[in-house]
Formats: sequence, C-alpha cells, structure tokens
Amino acid sequence: MPEIHLLVIDPTGLHARPAAKFVQLASRFASRIVIRHADREADAKSLSGVLGLTLRPSTEITVSAEGPDALAALEALKEELTPYVTPLIPESVQLVKGELPA
Amino acid sequence: MSLVLISHSRLLGEGLRDMVSQVAGPEVQVAVAAGTEDGRLGTSAPLIVGAIRTALAGGPAGAADGVLVLLDLGSAALSLEIALEDLTQLERSRVRVSEAPLVEGAVLAAVQASLGATLEATYEAAADAATMSKLPRA
Repeated sequence: MPEIHLLVIDPTGLHARPAAKFVQLASRFASRIVIRHADREADAKSLSGVLGLTLRPSTEITVSAEGPDALAALEALKEELTPYVTPLIPESVQLVKGELPA
Repeated sequence: MSLVLISHSRLLGEGLRDMVSQVAGPEVQVAVAAGTEDGRLGTSAPLIVGAIRTALAGGPAGAADGVLVLLDLGSAALSLEIALEDLTQLERSRVRVSEAPLVEGAVLAAVQASLGATLEATYEAAADAATMSKLPRA
C-alpha cells in the first residue's frame, strides 16, 4: 500500500481549516485513505477522525491509500498540505516502498 | 444540505456561522436564529421558523435536500419545538435536529455537507462531535 511520511510544521499543528481541506480533498478519491500518528489512526475522509488525532506541531504522520487512485490521492493530499507539513523521507524513496495498484 | 444554528446569543450565532463558513467553505448554506427579535439573549420560535425556511429554500444552486438544526442550551429546544410545529409536513420531513454540541457539531456537519453528503450522513457527522477528542494527547 503506498504511503507518505510527513512532518507537521505549522506552528499550531493540523488545525481545523487545513484538516477540513484535507478531508474534503480525500473524499474526492475512491481509495481508502488512512492518516496515522503513533499508534492512532483515522479515516482521512472523516473530520472528527482527523481532528481527533489532535496533531501537534512537529509530529510525524503517515498517510496511506489503498485503491484504484491511491497514488493520485497521496500526490494531491501532499500538495494540499504543503503549507502545513513537509515530507520526512524523499519522495522517490517513499514511492518505491509503495506498491503500484494493479 | 443546509444548516440552521440556534443560539441564545446573536453574537455567538453569527460568529459561529463565520467560523463554519471559513472551515467548510462558502458553498454550505448556514442560516442563523440567534437572540430575540429585539436583540436580547434568548431564542425566538418565529426567528427559528424563518431560518429553517431560508435554509430549506437553499442557495443559488436550488432548494436544500435537507436541513440539519443545531442548538445551544435549555429553552432553545422549547422554542425549536414550537417552531417545528409551524412547519408543513413536507417541510418537517426535510429537517433533522442534532443533539451535538453546537460549535463542534456545526463544524463537523458543515464539512460533511460540503462533501455533498445526505442529511443522514451530515447528522451522523455532527453526532461524532460528542466523542471527538479535543486536547492533544502526550
């Protein structure tokens, strides 16, 4: 399953507005998209789930996607979150780790 | 999907509408019935009926499929009860009332509505507000 690792850099964490934009964007894709932090995870299409992770600044998150448009979804989400997060591992390495959809 | 926010305070209602629109985007229509007709703290059944009808009428995109009503405290529920009796059966069938806490519920509902969700899905999203964790965990 392809995934991207991100570091929250916004000084207020992943707050309501970016979280809402994240959920709105994730909902446009058919893939199942999960956002994980430490041992907790949330459905990226649920605002209560994403806000419930209460992501502070400087926390690491992993976003994974499974489905026909998984790679496109991750690319779009990374772009959308750009002002708030930064990739932790170079993208080329991350995508090698993921499997291409059948 | 449109929302109706009922509060005892006009400032609270208007402020929440502002916040909800910024988080969810401007396409979700939010009507407010907050304070009394003469601007005091309180709720008013006629203002609530007006807000629900405004919400039902929808925006430029046409009438709303459904309206989710969220309210703050105490007698807001009594005023709402009176207001609901004023609606026609057809109007009433497109309205659902949420038990969710007002601020969190309104934000969650508005974002869900912005995804093109049904009244049922929007109601469920608002209900999540009661159990959503708020403080960051260590």
